[in-house]
Amino acid sequence: MKVRYFDNAATSWPKPKKVLKKMAYYFDSCGGNPGRSGHRRSIEAGRMILETRELAAELFHLADPSHILFTKNATEALNTVIMGTCRKGDHIITTSMEHNSVLRPLSFLKEQGCEVEIIPASKTGRVDQRLLEKAVRKNTRLVICTHGSNVTGAVNEIESIGTICRKAGVRFLVDAAQTAGVIPLNFSELSADFVAAAGHKGLLGPQGTGVLYVRDNENIVPLTRGGTGSLSDREIQPDFLPDKLESGTLNVIGIAGLGEGIRFLLERGVDQVWEYEGRLLDLFLDILTENSSIQCFGPLDKRFQTGVLSIRIPGISPSEIGECLDREYGILTRIGLHCAPAAHRTIGTFPEGTVRLSWGSFTREKDILYTAKTLKRIARSL
Amino acid sequence: MFGKKKKKKDLLPLEGVITFFGSHNALRAERILKENDYTVALIPGPRAISPNCGVALRFDYTKMQGIEILLLEKQVKYEAFHHYPLQTG
Repeated sequence: MKVRYFDNAATSWPKPKKVLKKMAYYFDSCGGNPGRSGHRRSIEAGRMILETRELAAELFHLADPSHILFTKNATEALNTVIMGTCRKGDHIITTSMEHNSVLRPLSFLKEQGCEVEIIPASKTGRVDQRLLEKAVRKNTRLVICTHGSNVTGAVNEIESIGTICRKAGVRFLVDAAQTAGVIPLNFSELSADFVAAAGHKGLLGPQGTGVLYVRDNENIVPLTRGGTGSLSDREIQPDFLPDKLESGTLNVIGIAGLGEGIRFLLERGVDQVWEYEGRLLDLFLDILTENSSIQCFGPLDKRFQTGVLSIRIPGISPSEIGECLDREYGILTRIGLHCAPAAHRTIGTFPEGTVRLSWGSFTREKDILYTAKTLKRIARSL
Repeated sequence: MFGKKKKKKDLLPLEGVITFFGSHNALRAERILKENDYTVALIPGPRAISPNCGVALRFDYTKMQGIEILLLEKQVKYEAFHHYPLQTG
């Protein structure tokens, strides 16, 4: 059966061919531990890491690539900042649209004596920045906001939220897990102190890769400490980037592949990806909303929505729809709560959740047409 | 053997070594300097001058000033410039 992949918000597929080619090259012909030895294989592995770091810096308009750090995923990047900047007595602001990768470390910090304030988003999943601004206090340490919701695709105005934070002297962490590689991002202009991204979603790299942008390396305590290949005569962690926040051997093979994913995006242009995914959203909505009982959640406006759409069909559970789509039609979606229970409470779909359809650079218009028509057929059959 | 001797000879005029705090900047310096037509070679960091397990960069000591300006311009952080001729010819 032909497969139509609509789970790009969980991990993108397919990847550009060069991703695997580069990974195979590292595996077959390079090897070597970057930064650990002075031999040619170690140096070549180091060059691969540097190349990906520089490509990421180019993609995000950053002059100094040492501020781009590699993690195993967006979750680790978020945890690095949340756990590394907040202490007992701090006030932390976040939103009701966050993923558990933000809300779970915050629940832990709450138990440790931090105060966590969750700003409710609108029914479409967008955050009112005026509520966020009002919540800022003297002891606010960190503001965390998702750029694009993994449930509704709703895009938040991180530029103006960043300006609010900068004005108030509060550090701002952006969760760009769903938007890096999908929406053009300029870290030099954005008033964000930290941006966390997945390497295996919009950036088109393999799983096991994540990216963290850190504006400055002060006032952040590393999540892990250990070997970095630098200052090896001392038993204290280096305080410079990227070494301070990159302990232990990196995922060289994954990072090498990630570099090719980013190169693909630089060649195609993220603005083109953004425009293309918006066009697919229009196409989807045109069909789904015409004479149909299908409920669509989110802004339903391509200016404020990524290639993510949550739907429900009254009278049939999301899990049944997901199973039917996979088994009968080869359409792969993600059903349920998407690791974001608070987001589903916000849009009114807790506890059943929704069927989430998410597309990407390689989704074709005919896949959208087929899937939209299939959903309407299922809705009509009830 | 011949090849090995030739390579060492090539490095002989490069009497300087730049040390770095980490390999990221060493590799970046190599790329930038090569792009700007400087002759440089990554070498295992000599323990006498470098505390790192990784690499240092051998360069032409007579061109130190131009190299230093370029690295500062490109925000490549280095530890120090050393006059450190090859110990063996």
